[in-house]
Amino acid sequence: MIRTATLTSALALALALPAGAAEIPIGHLADQSGATSDVGVPYAQGVADALAWVNRKGGVKGERMAVESVDYGYQVPRAVALYKKWTGGRDKVAAIQGWGTADTEALSAFVTKDEIPYVSGSYAAQVSDPTGASGKAKAAPYNFFYGPTYSDALRGMLIWAAEDWKAKGRPGKPKFVHMGGNHPYPNSPKEAGEAMARELGFDVLPAIVFALAPGDYTSQCLTAKNAGANYAYLGNTGGSNISLLKSCKAVGTDIQFMGNVWGMDENAAKAAGEAANGVVFPVRTAAVTGGTAPGLTTAAEISKESDAAGTVYRPVHYYAGICAALYMTEALAWAKDNGGLAGPTVRKGFYQKKGWVPARMEGVCVPSTWTESDHRGMMEVHIYRAKVSGPTDGALADLMKAGTIKLEPVKTVELPRKPEWQGW
Amino acid sequence: MATQSLNPAGDFRTTYAADTTIFPTAGSRYAVLAGLAILCLAPLWLERYWLSLLIQIGYFGVAALGLNILVGFTGQISIGHAAFFGFGAFASAWLSNNLGLPVFFAVPLAGVVTTAVGLVFGLPAARLKGLYLAIATLAAQYILQDFFARANWFTGGVAGTAAEPFSILGFAFDTDQRYFYVVLAYVVATYVLATNLMRSRDGRALVAVRDHYLSAEMMGINLTRYRTLSFGLSAFFAGIGGALYAHYLQFVSVEGFGILLSIQFLGMIIIGGLGSIMGTLMGTAFMVLIPEAMGWLTDAVRGSGLDRALSLKDNLSFLREMAIGLVIVLFLMFEPDGLAHRWRQVKAYWKLYPFSH
Repeated sequence: MIRTATLTSALALALALPAGAAEIPIGHLADQSGATSDVGVPYAQGVADALAWVNRKGGVKGERMAVESVDYGYQVPRAVALYKKWTGGRDKVAAIQGWGTADTEALSAFVTKDEIPYVSGSYAAQVSDPTGASGKAKAAPYNFFYGPTYSDALRGMLIWAAEDWKAKGRPGKPKFVHMGGNHPYPNSPKEAGEAMARELGFDVLPAIVFALAPGDYTSQCLTAKNAGANYAYLGNTGGSNISLLKSCKAVGTDIQFMGNVWGMDENAAKAAGEAANGVVFPVRTAAVTGGTAPGLTTAAEISKESDAAGTVYRPVHYYAGICAALYMTEALAWAKDNGGLAGPTVRKGFYQKKGWVPARMEGVCVPSTWTESDHRGMMEVHIYRAKVSGPTDGALADLMKAGTIKLEPVKTVELPRKPEWQGW
Repeated sequence: MATQSLNPAGDFRTTYAADTTIFPTAGSRYAVLAGLAILCLAPLWLERYWLSLLIQIGYFGVAALGLNILVGFTGQISIGHAAFFGFGAFASAWLSNNLGLPVFFAVPLAGVVTTAVGLVFGLPAARLKGLYLAIATLAAQYILQDFFARANWFTGGVAGTAAEPFSILGFAFDTDQRYFYVVLAYVVATYVLATNLMRSRDGRALVAVRDHYLSAEMMGINLTRYRTLSFGLSAFFAGIGGALYAHYLQFVSVEGFGILLSIQFLGMIIIGGLGSIMGTLMGTAFMVLIPEAMGWLTDAVRGSGLDRALSLKDNLSFLREMAIGLVIVLFLMFEPDGLAHRWRQVKAYWKLYPFSH
């Protein structure tokens, strides 16, 4: 019975659609097996689920998207090769959902030349200047991302850190150290963070390098401890940060760690256990799993695309992925109504609204504004603190429910949109 | 040479020149020319995806050829071949970006520069053999890789560097259809070069060093010279391959040249056949195509009953990597002499059919 119904509906659909119905080709680069796969997997799932959900709801203004999701393993050459595959043939992609900083920066020149809107999972300030007028970065008119730039997020956390130091009433100047791999992604906010720290009255220590992959980072922790660091920025992603936090706990450092947006999440807190307790990090969405925002209902619906039972716990990156995908589909929808899906039109689609929240995502996606001269979508930094109050064995959903792991809002820093902060 | 078994009975040679000819029969010469003609027409009818795979086989094939000269013909070992491949890529990009050299000249020049680097890193070969030499070449891999990550002036550091598209007199070979011809030309040139090299006095000296270095030395072959030379030669081909790769992707980044790629190069020549020129190309094709074939397989499994029953989901991408490893192991177990050997057997089988015994 069910089979007949499916067959009939499929037949009806096939007849209803004109032969070779146009689909919008979309490229999706995901890291599911590389150095950043720990956060790449939930983000990519968010993107894929949101796009599948839009398709199921009738697509972009009635046109379905043909999404090609590919795991590129965080390897720049593979990303470039995929990009060439997506843009060289007849059905050139209308837009791309990208991922890492190194590949986004490498592809930036290509997408500018080919006029293909590119929504990255990298929030490097280096691709936030569409005109190049800042003089700090090359013009990147087709690069978009949902979230504060890495540099702005760090600036926000440093402002919080300076207040925290005062509030604790500790004597002398606080010491700040940048920690991360020697890779474009952790390096991206280094200069901006160190400059901001000096401005706020921190002593800036020489940066400490630790690899993007998990390892034994005892010597790095000892270096930070001996130098007397008070505040440390962790530029890497979850897995690598977890091992650093564990090493530092073993060494017995007294450092307030500040993670990158990708540096900490529920999974990382579970894996690091009590070593993650107290780490602060920016969250890009206005709500996390367990909240009450109306947009979370939609997100739960989207989540069912890949988890029909609705039992999988969705970490913060999943929601960021949903938002990134929905901004793109709404820009595509605007372009479809205003002259077609050519790159320059889709790009204009991103500029149509101020304080833009995708439909039905209120309270989750933070209001964002892109303009022709500024691709810093948001200037507010929502700082959260990971609280771990016991052993973290068992399922993540249960740990969150029991409150063993908590994500606590600490402060929302509203940064001024300074032109001199653009592009670095 | 096994191909001699295909010659008619009573056929014998009276000169050394006739004995070392590349094409033992007229038929084999025509077959190669016909194959080349078909390849020349490939961009007209092949899909872009297949073209990109052929291009990949081309530039890896050129680099693997260098390694086969070193490992297969001279009997040395190197697990740093990817670093030379990378050096050629960066050198060519640097030469064209910073010195304003046309890419047309930058590619062969990158080969020359890489040769110099290869000669330097080949020096330990004068004194080391076997596993000790392997570790010494491992040093080349790490030293060069670290150099790529730090030498901002040369490589753009960890952020990588852009490379100009290949062009001749303003005509840019910036699409796969066009670039295919560039790679094809280089593959033909380097393979002819290597084949002829192996027929020369120097080529025979390299083989002698491999077969019995003591006898070779007694016959007046300077071991140090030939061992180091073979490192230089291997780096030359690696550099050319790397340069072709750089101008194909138009972007070079340090990540691509890890030890994994070095091992893959070794895999290519072992699977293709050590000491076989044509085998190198076959092995390269095998190593390039196997991940793709596994990709089709996992795509077929994705969403099927098997996927749901085992709830594989994301694990499929890992399964793919594991399957690649498994196929290579099985291949080495059942085909230890490489594809070149199997190819000769297939040819002999049809030549003698139906009286193969």
